[in-house]
Amino acid sequence: MSILAYNGGAMVAMKGENCVSIATDRRFGIQAQTIATNFEKVFQMGPHLYVGLPGLATDTQTVMEKLRFRKNLYELKENRLMSPKVFAAMLSNLLYEKRFGPFFVEPVVAGLMPKTYEPYICNMDLIGCINPPNDFVVGGTASAQLYGMCEALWEPNLGPEDLFETTSQALINAFDRDAISGWGATVYIIEKDKVTIKNLKTRMD
Amino acid sequence: MSVLCPEIPTPGFSFENCKRNAVLETKGFALPKAVKTGTTIVGITYKDGVILGADTRATEDTTVADKNSEKIHYLAPNMYCCGAGTAADTEMTTQMISSQLELHKLYTNRVARVCTANQLLKQYLFRYQGYVGAALILGGVDVEGPHLYMIYPHGSSDKLPYGTMGSGSLAAIAVFESRWRPDLEEQEGVQLVRDAIAAGIFNDLGSGSNIDLCVIRKGSVDYKRTFDEANKKGVKQASYRYPRGATSVLSTRVVDIEEVAVQRIEPERMEIA
Amino acid sequence: MASERYSFSLTTFSPSGKLVQIEYALAAVAAGAPSVGIKASNGVVIATENKHKSILYDEHSVHKVEMITKHIGMIYSGMGPDYRLLVKQARKMAQQYYLVYQEPIPTVQLVQRVAAVMQEYTQSGGVRPFGVSLLICGWDSDRPYLFQCDPSGAYFAWKATAMGKNYINGKTFLEKRYSEDLELDDAVHTAILTLKESFEGQMTADNIEVGICDASGFRRLDPSHVKDYLANIP
Repeated sequence: MSILAYNGGAMVAMKGENCVSIATDRRFGIQAQTIATNFEKVFQMGPHLYVGLPGLATDTQTVMEKLRFRKNLYELKENRLMSPKVFAAMLSNLLYEKRFGPFFVEPVVAGLMPKTYEPYICNMDLIGCINPPNDFVVGGTASAQLYGMCEALWEPNLGPEDLFETTSQALINAFDRDAISGWGATVYIIEKDKVTIKNLKTRMD
Repeated sequence: MSVLCPEIPTPGFSFENCKRNAVLETKGFALPKAVKTGTTIVGITYKDGVILGADTRATEDTTVADKNSEKIHYLAPNMYCCGAGTAADTEMTTQMISSQLELHKLYTNRVARVCTANQLLKQYLFRYQGYVGAALILGGVDVEGPHLYMIYPHGSSDKLPYGTMGSGSLAAIAVFESRWRPDLEEQEGVQLVRDAIAAGIFNDLGSGSNIDLCVIRKGSVDYKRTFDEANKKGVKQASYRYPRGATSVLSTRVVDIEEVAVQRIEPERMEIA
Repeated sequence: MASERYSFSLTTFSPSGKLVQIEYALAAVAAGAPSVGIKASNGVVIATENKHKSILYDEHSVHKVEMITKHIGMIYSGMGPDYRLLVKQARKMAQQYYLVYQEPIPTVQLVQRVAAVMQEYTQSGGVRPFGVSLLICGWDSDRPYLFQCDPSGAYFAWKATAMGKNYINGKTFLEKRYSEDLELDDAVHTAILTLKESFEGQMTADNIEVGICDASGFRRLDPSHVKDYLANIP
């Protein structure tokens, strides 16, 4: 078994029309045993910036703390918010630093660019190779299933309501076919003037 | 750099997780594989310069991780570099060498030479004994004319008139061996490179999606991202959109983001006494 | 490194609370070749004297106007060798920033980092402060920037300023000439005029250097270009 599948977890981010979504499951397990169903894997890094860190739970938290540290230092030094693109570059740099002893996370970044409010999403592998497509990105143990769901469900120019529906259904149906992720889900819809956070009702088995 | 206020974080590779990861491996947790480029990358010299070509598939084991990955990396205004192997390594290595070339250009007030880039790349790769998994095709034009180098992950390099690398290199080299000749016209060269990449895309499973091209002449560069879409995606026949309200929601929280009011302060006129 | 433990900093406070080494460094700057910087509405100009003591010098082989990144440039008053070290550091810091954030370094950030290096040389053992003041000009987020960095590590943002020999006269001249809606071309003209105020001998395209920075980036003007500006000066 891969160490990335030790705790389980699924994550997806999608681009919409002037909005982005990022969604995650809520399970925290140790292999087949479920420990908690309220585990946070998606973190707010700015008013329009979220990062998801699926993978080994201990590294999820360590990387989040290291990221928050570097991001705060940047924002204090430069007296401005960090854009998603810069954030992704910084995260990639952080992961590649550990090229020969990596953190076991495959991050997903979603946000709106400052000023233009242009949607930005990307994911990367555990040593920081950035992949910024213009449709959707996935991560975690259900990524194969998620790729399938997203390829079928995603379409361009989805508004916030439809983006929520599409993201949620892609995630739920994908992790229902993965034994080690699921047990609740959270969806974040990021728009220019608000972020809507919804907890979903899902199968709990 | 600074002794009194050291950089946070310290620059360079960090090995602090290595011990932990090695222990995990002995306990039977396989270490995950990084994204590979799979890849067909090629380069040729032609009458007035060099042409580089690449497919755009990146794979994570057998999953296509990126359908449109950019494998022709910028090094300097007169130099580009195709990368195969571990995707992060090719990306970071070329970025780092690009930085060094920029500094070299500023120090010397000259356009950097291709042989300089080759030397920087191979010395860097040799230092890491093949553990930085980057196989590169470096092409560019300098005062000495057009040059093309193949650079292997362990730090050896070849100066060739044409070459291919990556998992699709056999398919691509077959095309070159039968059709490449000295002093090709640009048109012919572009077609040849396109065909070599297409051979990789259709015959090698690690390569796929589109064809990127980069033509470097003396004094000008034509970077043709998505020169040819070898696999046009079919149009979706139906929308599989879920109706609104299909997802049952347990709780909703809305966080309003306040517009940060920007107050412009008019500059005061300078006091002129 | 036992010996280092006893190589105290040269910059030790005097009983009256002064760091005389820094004041001496400033004196070295004030004795150095004059340089000027002016911010215009659509760009920024930096200019300096590059006079040679003998006609035997090969002009244009050593430059005083240096590019740091595509959008940042630098000149100095004071000691040339010290300047080169700072140029090298500044370029490296700019590249390092780019590698981490994939975004060009904002001018303010570069200035802060260069200033930090200069400060460190006022507090370390076995070193002396830099004998230079820098003028750093840049263009980012659609506006020009002009900064001065002193040997102490202090830095200032200017609309226009002069450093080096006769800097007081230079500043007075600029105060009279400066206006907010100056165009870049006029700013170059004014910068050359300011240098001319204290210039001894004939000013030519070979003994001054000019750098400009606008939306298209930083560049050093070549002598033929400078000559065109000089032609318009009485």
